[in-house]
Amino acid sequence: MLSRRHAFSVLSAIALATGSLVMAAPAAELQKASLRLKWLPQAQFAGFYVAAAKGYYKAEGIDLTINPGGPNLLTENLVATGADTFGLSGGTDSVFAARDKGLPIVCIGVSHQITPFIFVTRKEGPVKTIQDFKGKTVTTWFTGANHVLNGMLAKEGIKPDELKIQPQQVSVTPFVDGSVDVVTATYYNEFYTIQSRMPKDSLKTFVAEDYGITFPRDTLIVAEATAKEKPELVKAFLRASLKGWKDAFSDPKGAVDTVMATAPTLDRAQQEFMLTEVKRLMTAGAAAKNGMFWIDADTVKTAHDFFLKYGVISKPLDLAAAYDASFIQSIPLADRLP
Amino acid sequence: MSRALVSPSLAAQRGILGAVLLVACWEGAARGLHLPAYVLPAVSDILAGLWSKRATLVDAAGYTLLEALVGYGLGCLIGIGLAVAIALVPALRAAILPLATAINSVPVVGYSPLILLWFGIGVSSKIVMVAMAVSFTILLSMLAGLDRVDRRAVDLMRSFGATPFGVLWRLRLPTALPLLLAGMRVSTVRSVIVAIVTEMLGAHGGLGWVIYQAVLQIDFVQVWAAIFVASAASLAFFGLIGFLERKILFWT
Amino acid sequence: MSSPSATSLGKSGVAAQRIAMPAPLRKLIRLLLGLAVAAVIWEGAVLLFGIRPYYLPRLSTILMAMAATPRAYVDGFLRTLAETLIGFASGGAFGVLMGVVFFRVRALREMIFPIFVVSQTIPVIAFGALVVLWFGNTLLAKAIIAFYLTFFPVTVNTLLGLETVDPKQVDLMRSFGASNRQLLLRLQLPTALPQIFVALRLAASLSLVGAIVGEWFGDTTGLGVLLLQAMFTENVVAIWAALLAAALLGTGFYAVVAAVERRLVFWSAEQ
Repeated sequence: MLSRRHAFSVLSAIALATGSLVMAAPAAELQKASLRLKWLPQAQFAGFYVAAAKGYYKAEGIDLTINPGGPNLLTENLVATGADTFGLSGGTDSVFAARDKGLPIVCIGVSHQITPFIFVTRKEGPVKTIQDFKGKTVTTWFTGANHVLNGMLAKEGIKPDELKIQPQQVSVTPFVDGSVDVVTATYYNEFYTIQSRMPKDSLKTFVAEDYGITFPRDTLIVAEATAKEKPELVKAFLRASLKGWKDAFSDPKGAVDTVMATAPTLDRAQQEFMLTEVKRLMTAGAAAKNGMFWIDADTVKTAHDFFLKYGVISKPLDLAAAYDASFIQSIPLADRLP
Repeated sequence: MSRALVSPSLAAQRGILGAVLLVACWEGAARGLHLPAYVLPAVSDILAGLWSKRATLVDAAGYTLLEALVGYGLGCLIGIGLAVAIALVPALRAAILPLATAINSVPVVGYSPLILLWFGIGVSSKIVMVAMAVSFTILLSMLAGLDRVDRRAVDLMRSFGATPFGVLWRLRLPTALPLLLAGMRVSTVRSVIVAIVTEMLGAHGGLGWVIYQAVLQIDFVQVWAAIFVASAASLAFFGLIGFLERKILFWT
Repeated sequence: MSSPSATSLGKSGVAAQRIAMPAPLRKLIRLLLGLAVAAVIWEGAVLLFGIRPYYLPRLSTILMAMAATPRAYVDGFLRTLAETLIGFASGGAFGVLMGVVFFRVRALREMIFPIFVVSQTIPVIAFGALVVLWFGNTLLAKAIIAFYLTFFPVTVNTLLGLETVDPKQVDLMRSFGASNRQLLLRLQLPTALPQIFVALRLAASLSLVGAIVGEWFGDTTGLGVLLLQAMFTENVVAIWAALLAAALLGTGFYAVVAAVERRLVFWSAEQ
């Protein structure tokens, strides 16, 4: 009997300890904050690293830790639970999905204004138009890029089951070897790897914008509570981040140095290419006029309607609650323009 | 572990009591503290989710078990084959053992990036990973079993004109069997886990893929449901090999 | 994982200790020679058979890549080592403790042991995201994963070892008025020690697995991070470099545990 009671107390102590840890996590100190990236450290996030290295966050009164992401992490989740203060998450699609599941997060800025994904095929190959995708093997990531593909197919009246869509692996080798007809790439990463293995003029690309679709990606998010209770912290974070990005664009070599101080085994040439492409994505579209991290209400609405139509989200969402442009708009335009 | 003084039914009762207490604490913590699903879903929600997604989960478990079983079979064959080769040709020991030990000094999961790049994200990369993980354990336990044989018994058989193969078949293999089977039993759970870990880094299907997708879709009830199924699949595999072990050992 | 081979290593080690002083030196020289031969074979095989660097790069290429950014590998090595050590120490201590508790309190063992067994069938990587959620990207989070993989084999072997104690010896010590504590420290644990160390050697490998897998959940330093980064940039040379570093860490740690075992178990056998 004694031992049984003992066991129960041990178990409940464990349960309590776990519970209190979860409860304690959001109670961070005012000036301490963290940014969860969507992926491993690379030049895609150069501006944040530059801002941290140059002390811009400190100057705004924030002690910021930058936490890299990984293949099995979801930024929305970590921000919603308060494990991280800020997040650079997947994109408009993942923000919608998170809101749809009731995760209390708000998007405070959009980084990549245009779709970063493209679909690459051989110029001499059998695929000349999207119609030729039918019956071919197309690989894509099921982490957002699949929505872009489905959107492009839908615009052309093609059903997804008319082609072989497979999950794309970590390597572009199957495409380079010719066992895959169409491969998904980001402008800034895989497209570089493909070009390093086969000449650029032997490739043909399909771009979502040519089919009237734009899925902005790389969204900055905070928890609803943070947006409500600490608006000054959010603004200060945005101000410092903008400064970091402006510096990164004016001194790309120095910015790559900063990133590679965190991840020294990266390939410098690839990182410099990445930063150039990221700059293009971040300053395209509405950002050219309204500055970086601009939230374009029309684009967001179009993407929302598309996701609703294709069942990515289960119900119409309150866009004003999911995307709060007030923080970025409170910063003078001159500070936002690259 | 075999003190048959207390009646087994009492042990079973206590085991069930422990499980019930754990589930009660879990359910109580999740419900009582109003933990959101992305922190810790309640057991009842997980079971409900498991039931509603049972078709998907059973398919995925079948996919993963197939990878695990094929890899396991291959790994056993390779491990036993190498051990027998070493037993028959002692000169091979100096060549195989250092190489095996060197490869084995890196945890098997460490190889998954390399194996995924080489073999792609299909079934073959998982089979290779499982086979790697299993073959070392089997090789080492089989060798230990083969070496356990009494030197004098070998000499005796040789003096009666038995060939090295005869000694192996009649004497060394039967002696090695218990250790080999123990190694095979330990490897079952490992093979399922290695298959799932590799699936999570890239796959076309399977429980690891379901977990990965569920994390992305913020469906944590499904993550846990898949974990439950994975655990059940491992236990079933473990039970199957344990059953075979008892049959074979009893029979010899 | 490789317990049988290590047992034979252990025996030869004891024998070597008894012969003379220069034996360790001779062993070291033999080890270095072996490594040199392996390096030459590696380099030669790649050159001779024209193996594509995509599969196996030349050893010299890998070492040069490591030398180009030594800090990344040294920092990663130390970080992973720290996680491994903490996970191993806590898992080992908890494992022995639970083994003793289960040995003493049968009811508790029957209640909790099955749960422990089931816990070992759960792929830890599925937990990774939750561990990060609960404990952040701290050293602690990785150490907990290493702990989770480590404690169970130690518990099992402690329990098995304790059960091999001869009841007659227990009765004898009791008749001399030995307390429970004295019984445990003087008789039961020393008897169980060889079994415990078999599990600890296994735990040495498992704690490294835990540390590496734990690092796949968003971190900046560690051998697991280097592996993942290399995989996603398709940098095979960097994967091999990280694997070499992991091999060094794995064998080194294993050797230390085995050496401690030789000392302790040897000493306890003399008693």
